[in-house]
Amino acid sequence: MSLPEINTWRLVRKQHAFKLKSYAGMYTSLMAIQVIGMLFSLGGVSSGGVSGDEHSIEFRTYSSNVVIAFTFLWAFISSILITTRAYRNDDFTFVTNRLTSNLSNLLFLLSASVIAGITSIMTGNVNKVIAYFFYESDYIIATDITFQGLLMGTFVTILYIFAFAACGYLVGTIVQFHKLFIVVIPTLIIGSMFIGTNTHDTSLLLVWIMDTYGKETSILLFVLKMIGTVGLLFLLSITLSNRMEVKQ
Amino acid sequence: MNVIECKGLTKAYGRRQAIRNLSFTIEENKITGLIGRNGAGKTTLLKVIAGFFRKTSGEVHVFSYQPFNNLKVSANMIFIDDNITPPTALNLQELLESAASFYNNFDMELAKRLFDYFSFHPKQTHQSLSKGMKSTFNVIVGLAARCPLTIFDEPTTGMDSAVRRDFYRALLKDYIEHPRTIIISSHLLDEMDDMLEDILLMKEGQVLLHSSVLDLQEYAIAVSGNKQVISNWTKTKEVLYKKDIGVGNTYVVVRNELNELDKQQAHIEGLEISPVSIDDLSVHLTSNDKGGIDDVFTRD
Repeated sequence: MSLPEINTWRLVRKQHAFKLKSYAGMYTSLMAIQVIGMLFSLGGVSSGGVSGDEHSIEFRTYSSNVVIAFTFLWAFISSILITTRAYRNDDFTFVTNRLTSNLSNLLFLLSASVIAGITSIMTGNVNKVIAYFFYESDYIIATDITFQGLLMGTFVTILYIFAFAACGYLVGTIVQFHKLFIVVIPTLIIGSMFIGTNTHDTSLLLVWIMDTYGKETSILLFVLKMIGTVGLLFLLSITLSNRMEVKQ
Repeated sequence: MNVIECKGLTKAYGRRQAIRNLSFTIEENKITGLIGRNGAGKTTLLKVIAGFFRKTSGEVHVFSYQPFNNLKVSANMIFIDDNITPPTALNLQELLESAASFYNNFDMELAKRLFDYFSFHPKQTHQSLSKGMKSTFNVIVGLAARCPLTIFDEPTTGMDSAVRRDFYRALLKDYIEHPRTIIISSHLLDEMDDMLEDILLMKEGQVLLHSSVLDLQEYAIAVSGNKQVISNWTKTKEVLYKKDIGVGNTYVVVRNELNELDKQQAHIEGLEISPVSIDDLSVHLTSNDKGGIDDVFTRD
């Protein structure tokens, strides 16, 4: 009996389309967390003041920074969520193997990151509009954002969100591999933050992460670094989960 | 052509072996009943075949491929049990459409007709259904998918007897129109024995018996009568089951290797011979050696 050949890539796209519909809960939680982020930014994301004998200056800045940070958290947690048993078993209701399941998850997380990146950048403008209409202020100093700048900002935000998603996906996969890692991973992460603090002010790991991913000025290098990192994280996840069984 | 081939297949969870050294083959386009007591290893075997579990040792081939992580096997196989929990965001209509997009042979028209017959509503969600309705919906997907290998693991859980009867009938009708390999594991053998062609009987992780239903109906015979006479008569025969009924009377099930002489002798000595249903037979064959449940309550 000859069986028809299965086109892996076509199946991945089918699964991706299926996940865009069936993981609808992700969009709801994204909206919820962005609304919470916006509530936190209502009074300005940073503020300060200077006062002299005759003058006092108080300033507040309005941006999407808080929302973006919350979105990072959302991406991390949502990615852990889709590695859990209930979500993984969903795939096995229909046609799949572990590779296509992982690849379609990757595509889904990328799509979700794009949506999350665009919406979180846009909330910055909402914040500014709210500030303009509802708060009394003497001066408004607006930073001009060119369309190109906006695109670039969105693109970079999307990459960051996707990187957080990839981290979450790896953490979730490792935990699925063995439950003991629920304890081990937080211990390692928190523990590693103390390395170097006796000789330096801040943790070496955090400094390295900030230097590598946060202070890169060349956009090309930055994109390459991000893609490389994300690729490596997913590759690890896929390799780890390739031998996992489907248990109910 | 064999759809499933197992040779010395073993699957262990840690130290415990759920299936041990299994060897059997299942041919194309047969309906096989997988029968065994709770914990006999039926579900484990089916999940190894479906590619959900990794085998521990031995060989397993489905469509002559190793099933674990194999896309071809997955695309040509559907596994239906009562643990299916589809995504909560989709309603029944959308679930059917998703299934249709994944399985090339999916017959949407049949699915729709069954869907209406069992009075489902397209906008319902799977988790709002009752247990029996869930099973019914899963079975509709399993039937309509028309996969060359269709596996039903306890598909009738929670269904009432009318729905069960409808399901058996629908399965048989669709099978006749579109022959394919079907494996059903169930406890309710007496309801399905007229539908099955082959029976694979499992006990403690091993294959006890793999034969056609017709052979199985001839496999054993029941004899009842005076205890003394019976015990003399069964000396040379393989006794599968024995139960005392009333005072001084016994009911035994023996392997059906009787010749005419045996039968005549039994008749002369006043023994009553009757056929054994394959449901009873499977219970006798798979019973453990601890006697019956009656022995639990007998203290002496």
